[in-house]
Amino acid sequence: MLAFAPVARAQDRPTMALRGDAAAVWLSQETAPGVVNRWRGPALAGEARVNYGPFAIGASLLEGRLDALGGAASRRDLVEGRVLVAARALPWLEVSLGPLVRAYVTDSTTERWVVWQGRARIDAPILTNRLASYIEGWRAFSSQVTLPPLSAGRVQGGEAGMVYRPPRGGSLWLRLAYRVDNALLGAGSETAEAVTFSVGIGR
Amino acid sequence: MTAPRAAIVLTLALAMARPRELVAQTARDLVTQGVRAYRALEYDAAVALLRRSLAEGALGTLSTAERAQALTYLGATELFRGRRDSASLAFADVVLLDPRYRPDELIFPPQVTNLFQQVRQATKTVSLTVPPVTELRARGDRFTARLFTSSLADVAVTLTRDDGTPVRELYSGPVADSLAVTWDGSGADGTPVATGRYALRVAPRTPGGDVPPARQVTLDIEQRAADTLPWPTAPTSPALLPEQTQAGPAMRSLAAGVAAAAAVIILPSVVARGSGGNDARFAVGAAIGIAGVVGFIAQRPGRPLAANIRANAPQRDAWTKRLDAVKAENATRRAAVHMVIRAGSIETADRGGRP
Repeated sequence: MLAFAPVARAQDRPTMALRGDAAAVWLSQETAPGVVNRWRGPALAGEARVNYGPFAIGASLLEGRLDALGGAASRRDLVEGRVLVAARALPWLEVSLGPLVRAYVTDSTTERWVVWQGRARIDAPILTNRLASYIEGWRAFSSQVTLPPLSAGRVQGGEAGMVYRPPRGGSLWLRLAYRVDNALLGAGSETAEAVTFSVGIGR
Repeated sequence: MTAPRAAIVLTLALAMARPRELVAQTARDLVTQGVRAYRALEYDAAVALLRRSLAEGALGTLSTAERAQALTYLGATELFRGRRDSASLAFADVVLLDPRYRPDELIFPPQVTNLFQQVRQATKTVSLTVPPVTELRARGDRFTARLFTSSLADVAVTLTRDDGTPVRELYSGPVADSLAVTWDGSGADGTPVATGRYALRVAPRTPGGDVPPARQVTLDIEQRAADTLPWPTAPTSPALLPEQTQAGPAMRSLAAGVAAAAAVIILPSVVARGSGGNDARFAVGAAIGIAGVVGFIAQRPGRPLAANIRANAPQRDAWTKRLDAVKAENATRRAAVHMVIRAGSIETADRGGRP
């Protein structure tokens, strides 16, 4: 029993994980049937997460600049912050909950989204401890948009990717992922997509 | 059974058993009375009583020792009656009956014991005793036959089949008084003899003289299969780690990669209906799919797992050693003689070997 005690204490100790993302983001906004504005641009993001046993809390921030692809739309800056509380219910299943705030900033206006979302993520190893894939889905159970000031309709999204841990990389890991989310706004909708390459450390 | 019928049966049984008991009792009483008459120097009466006892005892009611005692007293009585030839004949019968018998020197005077000794020297005979059942379980076990001779005799002890075919000569040479002849259960070629009926024959070979009768005993020999040990169970999973990659992990890797790749491709149509999605996602999906295929190839079924093979080696070596030990033990048991020898009664054989 005494021999296991230090191990147990080590497992109970909180651990921290950091992640940095480089992303290519695509945004399309359908304001009315047949009227679609599109933007595209790079983004950088970071996430910090503290794990304690099966539980975790984390926060992430993304910033990007989206250029309009034709049409009358102007360039937008994208800022997105998220706070989460997560629990690993099963070795391969993590559920999380938290607010996501997204803002599209133009020279004259700021469109701000506040979305409370619930997420579920399934991890599946491809090569044990080295390479794994994951699929994540989320859905908002509360959302608000400041411009126009109304409550958005259905907001949901998904992400899939793979995580690679180099053999001699210690706790370093790399991730390649694709994500998409979609919100219904009155008669229109807004869809954001991103291809993300991430470097992380910690577990 | 009714009471009258049971009484009749009991009466008949008693009637059938009684004469033999009476005869035995009578023969022993006659011996006792004859000995008493001998001690009272009433030799004529002693001779009559002892001859009657021996005649009664011929039915088998007297034991060998009782017959030898009666014959000895008869010989002594005849000697004191001046009938030396009759005394010699009585003593010769004693010798033939039991070559090991000696008159008690505290009872009989020297002239009796000296004559007995002379007769014994002149009477060539051999006797044979064997254990009723002998089991040979190991290589060192032996069947033992004991020979007794009245005087120095040259004998041949042979084992033959029931039909007279010689199997092996166990001894050939002189016997001064007694000899233990041992047999390990093998034939002339050194291998154990087969199950069957055999005869052990002791044939005296007195050159140019009076050849005493041979003795023979039937031996029923049974070979029994040796009990061998079962082989130790070969180590298997889960005691042993798998030494080759299984299909499961490879298929799970492939499934994990393909499912994630498919999710990447179909996510826009699931999440944002009406949105075609960006083509860049196909590159991501292809990368994840390729990773799944790589995972499958890396864990393809049947690939040796060197670490597990090394980890299993001590268990395999231990099992191999146990197996070798069991094989060696079984070989020893199979090679060992396991034979049961049941001896019949000792019989006097003619010179051709037939009793």
